[in-house]
This record gives sequence, C-alpha cells and structure tokens, in this order.
Amino acid sequence: MLKAKNRLGIVFFPAYDWSLGPTHPEREERLLYTHDQLVEEGVFDIEGISEHKPDVAAREDVERTHFCFPEPEAVVTRSHMAAAGGAITAARLVMEGRTDRAFALVRPPGHHAMKSVHGTRGFCTINSEAVMVEWVRETYGRRRVAIVDTDCHHGDGTQDIYWHDPDTLFISLHQDGRTLYPGSGFPHELGGPKARGRTLNIPLPPNTSDEGFLHVIDNVVLPILDDFRPDLIINSAGQDNHFTDPITNMNFSARGYALMNERLAPHIAVLEGGYAIQGALPYVNLGIVLAMAGLDYAHVVEPDWDPERWRQTRQVGKYIEALCEELPKLYFKPPPDPRDTLAGNWHVRMKEIFYDTDGIQESQREMLYDCRKCRGTLKIETRSGRVPLSLGVEIPQDACPVCRAEGYRAFEEAQLKGSFRYVQLINRADKEYLRVGF
Amino acid sequence: MLLGIDVGGTHTDAVLIDDGGIRGSFKTPTDHADLLSSIRAALDWVAAEADAFDIERVNLSTTLTTNAIVEGTTEEVGLFVAGGPGIDPHTFQICRHFHVLSGATDHRGTAVRELSRAEIEAAAKACDADGVRSYAAVCKFSPRNPSMEQTIAEAIGSRADVVTLGHQLTGRLGFPRRMATAYFNSAVWRLFNEFSFAVELALRERGIRAKVNILKADGGTMPLAMARRIPVESILSGPAASVMGIISMCDIALDSLILDVGGTTTDIAVFAGGSPIMEPGGISIGSYPTLVRALLTTSIGVGGDSAVSMLGEQVFVGPRRKGPCMCAGGSHPALMDAFNVLGASRYGDVAASRAGMAELAAAHSLTPEFLAQKAVDAAVANIVAACRELVGQINARPVYTLHELLDGRRVVPKKIYLMGGPAEVMKMPLFRAFQLSVSVPRNFSVANAVGAALTRTTTGAELFADTEKRRMHVPTLGISKVIEPGYGLADAERDARRSLLGFLRQEGIPVREENLMMTHAESFNMVSDGVLSGRNIRVGCQIRPGILHRYKALLGRLC
Repeated sequence: MLKAKNRLGIVFFPAYDWSLGPTHPEREERLLYTHDQLVEEGVFDIEGISEHKPDVAAREDVERTHFCFPEPEAVVTRSHMAAAGGAITAARLVMEGRTDRAFALVRPPGHHAMKSVHGTRGFCTINSEAVMVEWVRETYGRRRVAIVDTDCHHGDGTQDIYWHDPDTLFISLHQDGRTLYPGSGFPHELGGPKARGRTLNIPLPPNTSDEGFLHVIDNVVLPILDDFRPDLIINSAGQDNHFTDPITNMNFSARGYALMNERLAPHIAVLEGGYAIQGALPYVNLGIVLAMAGLDYAHVVEPDWDPERWRQTRQVGKYIEALCEELPKLYFKPPPDPRDTLAGNWHVRMKEIFYDTDGIQESQREMLYDCRKCRGTLKIETRSGRVPLSLGVEIPQDACPVCRAEGYRAFEEAQLKGSFRYVQLINRADKEYLRVGF
Repeated sequence: MLLGIDVGGTHTDAVLIDDGGIRGSFKTPTDHADLLSSIRAALDWVAAEADAFDIERVNLSTTLTTNAIVEGTTEEVGLFVAGGPGIDPHTFQICRHFHVLSGATDHRGTAVRELSRAEIEAAAKACDADGVRSYAAVCKFSPRNPSMEQTIAEAIGSRADVVTLGHQLTGRLGFPRRMATAYFNSAVWRLFNEFSFAVELALRERGIRAKVNILKADGGTMPLAMARRIPVESILSGPAASVMGIISMCDIALDSLILDVGGTTTDIAVFAGGSPIMEPGGISIGSYPTLVRALLTTSIGVGGDSAVSMLGEQVFVGPRRKGPCMCAGGSHPALMDAFNVLGASRYGDVAASRAGMAELAAAHSLTPEFLAQKAVDAAVANIVAACRELVGQINARPVYTLHELLDGRRVVPKKIYLMGGPAEVMKMPLFRAFQLSVSVPRNFSVANAVGAALTRTTTGAELFADTEKRRMHVPTLGISKVIEPGYGLADAERDARRSLLGFLRQEGIPVREENLMMTHAESFNMVSDGVLSGRNIRVGCQIRPGILHRYKALLGRLC
C-alpha cells in the first residue's frame, strides 16, 4: 500500500457554482477534471494525504493585506474569500504541524492582485498567497518567507505587495513580458530601496521546455533560497507553462512540474493560473500532489506528450544559460535603483495600473518613509475611474516609534484635510485596521 | 409476514414481524464452520412458529463473505487492469494473478491508448494454466467508458466462470477502490453462489416460497439474484442491521447518535437529515478501501467486558478485554462489575464483582465505590470523545460549492438511541455527560434481526452525459445511449430516474417513487476555443435506506 513520505494536506475547493462568465477560462468546470483525476487515482486514500475543507477568509484577513477601495465587500466576491481562506487553511495545517506540506487547490487565482485593489485584474482580486503570509505573520510573528511564482504570467501583484519587504523573497519565473500579459517582470525590477534584491524576475523566452525550467531552478532559484534561508517556502503553482495551455507559449510538461516541485520542496503550494483544464490540469496537479507527498510520479505522463516535439531549441537553451549566469548577481549584489526619488523623507514612486478584467485605470503615488530602524511606513495615494482620490497607510509589523507616529500623522491629517474620499490604515504593529469615508 | 435473519459473529438471530409487530424471536449461537446449519436452525424455528405460506419476504444478513475474506478462504482471481497516466497500478497489486495491460482511457472517457489483444491473451493463458476460473477486469475511468473492460471480458471468454467488470459495480470514481471491490467480488463469487443455492433449497424444503433478500452494509437489501452477481455488497452488513433496527423500531426525526454498547466495543452511527450517514467513499475490507457503500460507523474499545485498569492515579476502561467481566465468571474486573458495585445493576454474580473491584481498589488505597465511579466516568468520557470526533469529522467533510461552504447544514445530534447489553445502566451516565435525551428501545436485543427484516431495497445509479460526444452512460445498469446536442440537466435527471426505476421493476422490486432521491445533479459548460462546445452532466440518484413502506405503521411502536 502507498504511504506518503511527507504528510500532505490538500485543500480542494473547486467552487463548482462560481464563474467569471459562462465561457470565461475562470469558470465552474476549471477543476472538474482535476477532481475526477485525483479521485480516480485514489489520492485521498493514500496514507499521509488528507483532504480539508477551506476556511472562509474574514474581512480582517483581507484588510491587513490590501487597501481595498472603497471597501472589501465592494470588490471581493465570496469565491475570493473561499480561495484566500483555503490558502490560510493550508498554512494553518503546516504551521500547526498537522501536515508537513499543504497544497491549496483553490480558484480563482490571486497573484495579479496588488496592494491597492480597485477591482479585478488578470482574473485576480485579492492575493491569496499574501493574505495567507500575512495571516501567518499576524498569528506566529515575523517570518522569513520565500514565494516562488511558477505561473507563466509575471506575478506582478505579489511583487507589488512585497516590493518594500526585506523579509519576503519573491522570485517569479514567467514567459517574457514582451510576449505576454501583464508585460512586466524584467530583471531590473529588484524591489524597493529597503528590499533591493528581494524581488527577482526570471523572464523566459517562449517555447522553454522542461530542460530550461529545471536549469533555472538549479542554477538560480535553489542557490538563492539557500542563501536567503526562509522559514517558509511558498510556491504560487500556476500551471499555464504547460505545452497545451491555450493562452501562453511554453513547452512545460506535468512531469517537469513534478520535478520542479520536488526540487523547490515548498511547504505550501497555492494554485494560480492554468487554463488547459482537460489536457494539463489533471496531470499537472496530480504530478504536484505526488511530488509534494514524496511519491513516485514517473507514470504521470500526458497522453499526448512527445518530448521530442516539445523540446526547446538550442537557441532558447543558450539564452537561458546566459540569463542564469547574470541573474544571481542581481540578488547577491543588487545595483541601486537609478529611478529612486527621495522627496523629503519619502521615497516616491508613481504607478499606472490597468485592470484588464474590469477595464479600470488606476493612478498611484506610492511613498515609503526613509527609515534607518525599520522597513518604513508606506503611503499610497490612489485614484481610478471607479474611486476618487483615496489614501492607504501601512505601519509595518516591526515599526519603530517614528514610523508609527508618521503613520498615524498621515492617517489623521488625511481626515482633517478632507482631500481623500476614502482613507484606510493598516497598523500591523498594533494589529489595528481602520477605514474612514463611508 | 416478514422473516429477518441476522447471522452475526456470536449469535444468529431471527424475528418474525407482521402488521401487529414482532411475532416472535429466536436466538442461537452461530456455528462458524457451518453457517448454513445456523440458518437451518432458525428456519426450523420458523416452521414451528408460523405457517410457511404466510411468509412473504426473507431478509438475510450474513457474515459469509466477511469471514471468507478474513480467513483467507477466497478463490484465486485473475485481475486484469489498465491504468494509463497516473500512479503506477502495480502499487495496488492485490493478488497473485495481477496483470497490468497497456490501454488507457482519460477523464472524459476517451480511449487514449488501445488495449493490446496479445497482452490480454497472454495474461489469460497464464491464469488459465494455473487453473484460475474467476476473473475481474478494471480500467481507469471505466465508468466514463466501459468499452475496455468489455473487451477484456470478451477476450477471456469461456475460460472464466465469472468476470467482474469494474463499471458494473458502481459509477463512482476511484480506480484502486474499484480494483479491490472487483477483486473481492470475484473472490467470493463462487462461495456465495453455492451458499445461496443451499439457502434457497433449505427454504423450499420448509415450504417457504418467499422472496429472499440479502442485507448490505449501507443498511438496505438487494434481491438474491442481484447478490449472486455482486456478492461483495453483502460484506460487513452486521453493524448496518443493528442501526437499521433502531431506525425501524423508533421513529427518528431529529439528528441523533445511535450507540450500540456491546461486550468489547461500542459502535457509533449518526442519523441526520432523514437518513443514516454514509461512508464518503466506501467501506474498507482489511486495509483495502472499496467502493461498497456503507453506513458510517466507528467503533471504540469500550464495552461491558472492557477491563478496568489503573496507571498511577488514572483509571482506564478498555480498550482491552481480559475475558468476561467477573460477575460472568471472569478473572479481571470490567465495566459491568463497576456498575454492579455502584448498585446500578444486579447482573450475574454481584459478590464476585464487589470482590474483584475491592481488590483492585485496595491495591491503590481506594474504596471500591470510588474506583467504580471513576471507571464509569472514564468509559463515558471515552464514548463522548469518540462521538464528538465523529460528528466533527462529518461536519468537516469537504464540500465543493460556495453554497455548501457558506450555507451548509451542520449535524448537531439532539437525541441518543442506546442499545446493547449494558444499555440500561449506561443510560443515566450518558444522559448526564451529553445533556441529551437518551432512549433505550424495548427490543434492542433483536434490533439486528428487526433491521434485517424491515429494511427496504436500496440501490443507486450514476449517469454521465457528454453532449460534445453525444453520449450518455449509466455504467452500473449497462445503459449507453446517443443523445441530442440540446440534452440538458433536466433530461439527465429524468433519464437517471427512469433508468433506475425501470431496472428495479425489471428485477421485480416494488419501489415507491418518493423514496427515489437525487444525490447530485451538475451540468458544466465545456468550452473549446472560447465557444461553448457542449455540456458535461453528472447526475446520481438512489433509493435511500429506510423501512419498508407497508410496515411504516410499525414505526415508533416497537421502540
């Protein structure tokens, strides 16, 4: 009889009664065949593998992570709360030591959701991984976390949320932004002034196959993880690098995904994108489940997989090798940001964000207090077609007294001046979450 | 008149029931070497008690198949499987003649790799050379497309006396479970068929011409003709018989716990939402999970004969049984002795109970009464903890829709039904611990036979339709039809109901439509290149376990 080497908790929640539209890729059917495959394989009967019902995330789980304008209820559906809650359930299993690993097989995805949320972009509204990580930090204190995003699209939301966080290492492997949504994720994007090198982007050329992905894992990701020494490794397990995916151009296989997962050995994996719901998801998810449990996945081979046909060209291989030479330097010796602007005591960054799913354009001025003692209080002034000028203030978990005072000053001033329609305060130091403007 | 016979582990019980209630009951020790002799004894009693002509139905619960599997007296089976992508089927090798073939079917029922005739032929030859006569064929995703299993059966041909096909057992998924279920079915097939002929003969000899039904682990029955095809369904029906007994004797409406306190164990079952709660996948036979539907029961080591022991200050009851309790001639004080000491019961040799408890108490400088009270408290605490855990597990079961996740119903027991030897004395302690009404039905000692007699036939069917492939299947009933592209959920529900009712009528099983319930009904849009290409529809329906309609009037009167 089979017995898992690692105890694995699977939070499976396919939300069979929720979709973004009847023929939208993010529809009821998305995890149907995955479910069929897992049940038919008898995965949940394997000793050491258990299935869990997701918790539903609470409003404050979202509020401690995101600035939602005008408020969480206005932008977040119940399905998002279940997906984020499922990720929290997965984290709880691991943190409480009930399982060694956990896999949240939930939908919709979340990695395009940024710090400030006005609506839905790239099918994502709230960032499941970030909501989960911040839940862990709120419950168990400061933790060093590495998030490795293996979705084919750049995880621009997760990057944005952890841009200024030196405790979070964010590595994204994705198809080159010049050829795919969201068009970002280039090597020069390395994190804010207090967290330089804590964001690392690995854009891969179209048609990268198993060989190329594994080369990057072995030569870039693993040495950096070794150096960073995270308390928790999280995999944003998007499955759209698969050779059958309808909206991307990569040549990755289910067995490749399993191998990659085995090498990364994440504590928690959270499903992200992946829309080849018949040809890819059943096999990729099965491969990941078996790899996480430490079981043999050699027989997980797609019926139409032909390694010769999907092998990357020599040119692609060379390009990736050259990339892998350069990228680790960016983590170990990150160059300063030439565009860093200091206005008074605040590092200022202007951002334009497009919400493709909802058709919203958001304009932001993001300011980080230049502090030598902690990572600094963050202010985001934001406006969009939907939301008039509003403000979000975040005091970090380990804030020094100065930053704490700066945060409160900004929050109070915004109310007195009255130039902001909505104001939200995230005070992680005192676990206080306030909003005004209703 | 109904005759219910339960051939249990220790006793064989029989009851005769008519419109007025229980007409008579009979108990005899079970002869494990010859189960038939126990049944004959029960039938002889019946012949003396009633007119054979009045008996309209004989329901039988037997440990025959369970014993054969436990004792390893089953037959060699040639198990042919086809896996395809996924976990290596060799991992699940369950028997010596286990042959993995190279065909593969995917999750939508598309054959992605054809079977090799030569492989089947070679495997069948190897089995035949070893004298194997029972076969089973199981392919991954066969409920979505049974053709590969059918091909294997055809290729084995007359070399087999029986070929169990995975898709005929159930439409539910679970390849390893299906392999085990099909294997056990073929392994007990011959034994069960011989037994059933002998039972029919014994009935005929006594002039009983009633229909014979066999009890299943899900608390329902199946006609003997069906049991001959799927004898595996007769496995582990004992606990279900007792639970159905309580359900048929007492008119249960609220969510309830059903506790059967025996000599060594307490079995716990849960009744909620109008029917007993089922195992999510199916019952496990040894370490093999199967797809045989069963009532969810959990068993803990607390019973009348559970040994009382002490470790430091802590008093323990069970889980071990060191012979019978002292009041019944045992040598070690047990839970029943504690009740005797407390004066709650006067069972057997009360003086022996006192002496035994006093000795154990003295060794720890305690009074016998104090020790006895602690023992009862410990036993009750164990039962409470096990019940809490079971209900917790039921409420934590995964769900797959937002509706169920956010608005789902929780099971909250409001009443306890208690049976078994120590039931009367356990009543008050359990009431105090749970703060719930506890009732002990009058005739609990024959609950198993009453349950066997009164329960109705249960069966289920799953329907899969794929409008892109223009195909509809009901695998267990062997139905496969071409459908229109416009085929929808309502059509599928109608077809599932009709198929199941049609099948039951054909088998001569009286069925009332109101007992037929849909277990699930889902329709998913399938999209290719951004346009709707079809619908994937899954519908399940079942006759749920319950009491025979004609005897509904008895509900609550036997309690």
